[in-house]
Amino acid sequence: MSAPAGPALAVDFFDGRSARSHRVRIHVSGERLLISGDGIARSVPLADVQWPERTRHGARVAHLKDGGALHCTEATAWDAWARDSGRGETLVVRAQQSWRWVGGIVVALVLVLAAGYLWGLPWASRAVVAVLPASVDREIGNAALKSVDGDLVQPSALPPAQQAQLRAAFERAVAQTWPQSAPPHELLFRRGKDKSLGPNAFALPGGTMVLTDELVALVDGDESVILGVLGHELGHVRHRHGLRMLVQATALGVVTSVVLGDFSNLLAGVPLVLGQAGYARDAEREADADSVRLMKAAGISPDAMVRFFEKIAEERRKRSGGGEPGWLGIAIASHPADDDRIRYFKQAASQ
Amino acid sequence: MTLPQEGFIASDGDQPAQIASIDSAGLNGVVSTLDTTLPPSATPSSFDSTLTERLPIRFTGSGSEYFRIWIVNLLLTLVTLGLYFPWAKVRRLRYFHGNTLVAGHPLGFHGDPKKMLRGYLLVALLGVLYTAAGSFSPVAGLLAFVIVALLWPALFKSSLQFRMANTSWRGLRFRFKGSTGGAYRALLPLFAPSAVLAAVLAAVPDQAHPPGWFGAAFGGVMGLTLLSLPLLLWNLKKYQHDHYAFAQLQTELRAGPRSFYGLCLKGLGVWLLSGLAVGLLMAGGFALLGDGLGDWLRHRGAGPGRRGGIAAVILVVVLFFAVSLLMQVFARPYFTSRFQNLLWSRTGNRQLRFKSDLRFWPLLRTTLQNWLLMIVTLGLYWPFARVALTRLRLESVGIVSRTHLDALVAQAGLEGDAAGDAAGDFFGIDVGL
Repeated sequence: MSAPAGPALAVDFFDGRSARSHRVRIHVSGERLLISGDGIARSVPLADVQWPERTRHGARVAHLKDGGALHCTEATAWDAWARDSGRGETLVVRAQQSWRWVGGIVVALVLVLAAGYLWGLPWASRAVVAVLPASVDREIGNAALKSVDGDLVQPSALPPAQQAQLRAAFERAVAQTWPQSAPPHELLFRRGKDKSLGPNAFALPGGTMVLTDELVALVDGDESVILGVLGHELGHVRHRHGLRMLVQATALGVVTSVVLGDFSNLLAGVPLVLGQAGYARDAEREADADSVRLMKAAGISPDAMVRFFEKIAEERRKRSGGGEPGWLGIAIASHPADDDRIRYFKQAASQ
Repeated sequence: MTLPQEGFIASDGDQPAQIASIDSAGLNGVVSTLDTTLPPSATPSSFDSTLTERLPIRFTGSGSEYFRIWIVNLLLTLVTLGLYFPWAKVRRLRYFHGNTLVAGHPLGFHGDPKKMLRGYLLVALLGVLYTAAGSFSPVAGLLAFVIVALLWPALFKSSLQFRMANTSWRGLRFRFKGSTGGAYRALLPLFAPSAVLAAVLAAVPDQAHPPGWFGAAFGGVMGLTLLSLPLLLWNLKKYQHDHYAFAQLQTELRAGPRSFYGLCLKGLGVWLLSGLAVGLLMAGGFALLGDGLGDWLRHRGAGPGRRGGIAAVILVVVLFFAVSLLMQVFARPYFTSRFQNLLWSRTGNRQLRFKSDLRFWPLLRTTLQNWLLMIVTLGLYWPFARVALTRLRLESVGIVSRTHLDALVAQAGLEGDAAGDAAGDFFGIDVGL
């Protein structure tokens, strides 16, 4: 069956073997593209043509499977010919050429990015971390401890009796909070090597928790406060925050590099830092909830943590008053929005 | 495979003078001679010393149109969790190629997104393993680094091969003819400083208390690296620009390491000078405002008790960033423009030469404008910035030809691997301009 021939168009033909151009006429007939010109007569299956897409600027180049090419610098003439020859357009091309579509896409993009940030990425990082065995956490934690121990911290100067007492109290509280399956943990007492760390406590992936002598001294050895702080750190361990932050940071980095391309490393770092800060706050809230849970299970009023924040604020004032820069610890003290957290613990205490 | 082009790569000392004379002839009467028909049998003797054609490069892309393409690409890439990326890349390249007119004829891009997807998945896996290894343990990280260093040159070559083989002009494909061995010779020296450093580190028994010779060794390696950087860069660019091929023509980079050292020194000079200028300007500003600022700091310090110190620290940090940014603002466009001119004006052969004349001030203006609008629009200006920069950089390049273009005929070439192309994106390999 011979289909009726479509409209014709004059274009430049290159045979793929030489750079010579040939003026030819092309038209579609049935499932074939017919090319005819001075000494040239070809019939190419439509499926063997890599068709150009409609754009407002730029020439049209159709590549043939055998290496030949059709060039047309009059884009509108080509587009009209393609339309009249029954060449359809993909949805993507129509969207690219319509400002109305593009407006909708900008809105959709903002929604996708927001949803991805608020739910998608946290969910995905949980899923990824759930798949990874606990030994990954331990390996990372061990590597981190090795780089900290000796450099940033040194062995504790607390009397062994006090260490043992705190340890026993913490183990009791953990057993009361999670009678069946306590998260893996190992409590280490350390002392800051210089003043940079200060009163601090931090948890490493895998369950290693470090408590500094300075923190014990800051709260005058108040056991309930220390248990609250350790409960918070155990919360980080239980939720595997270390590994999750790693996964989230990687994914955020990939997304920002996709969105911003290779424009500037400095600029691409801004959304990364802001995004990570948001996730860090969420992680703190989760850990605070675990802290409250542990304190309640151990029969301690969450008010203890309110006292802790007051002590920290006081220490911060004292330090900067003495001329030292007000840099306080990494983990607990520098967390944003202390007021919110104080309110949270107060509320937990009144319930 | 035969190498018909070897015959005319012979060095040609008087080439720069030739270009100068062509330049003064101007752009007139350029494209008109292109369609003069010549019998294809004239191929071996297509070189014609009386012929000088200047083929202008024009870029017709528009920022607003690329914005529409970009935003659709972006949404589809995000909702498909990245699987759409090769299709997005093909659309982008086809737009940029189709809008690059060399002597009135557009470039074409033929890459098959499905093939590229396979490459991307492979390289993504490699990337994930590499990142994971680094945070897992130092030894695993080192191992991953060695593996990537050993794979990278092969991927680099593959990337260039793929990109060139899928780019065409007037129906003929470009080719990249560098060998895998050449890629290793071009790239492995770049890893040498890191390897030496790693070896030095491994020789230190206690990392916390390095022996006395460690600092000297470390400084020595760093100094040698800095000193050899222009040489390493030249070595890499020489490999790239010696092996671009189109039809029976193959390019050659006719610049020695000396010109690279000169350029790097000048770039360093501009960087230091702009730093000095910025510093003097700031000092002047402080001299004028100094008293007021001091009072303000003292006041803040005396007030609520602790803000003074923090304000001073923040001020210092902000100043530091401002100075380093301002130093970059001048030095980067300077280096970019001079480097492009050096690289491309010295690329070619007896029959075909490039001539790049990218000026510093227009590039500086475009860079500043891009930065400002990127920040104001929270990144939405990116496609406009890209188009503006591409136009400026491409349109400053011209081609001078002493061959009848109709006499150019296709040569057999290799496709290259799509995985190489993906690796090019992942490791930031820059092809072309």
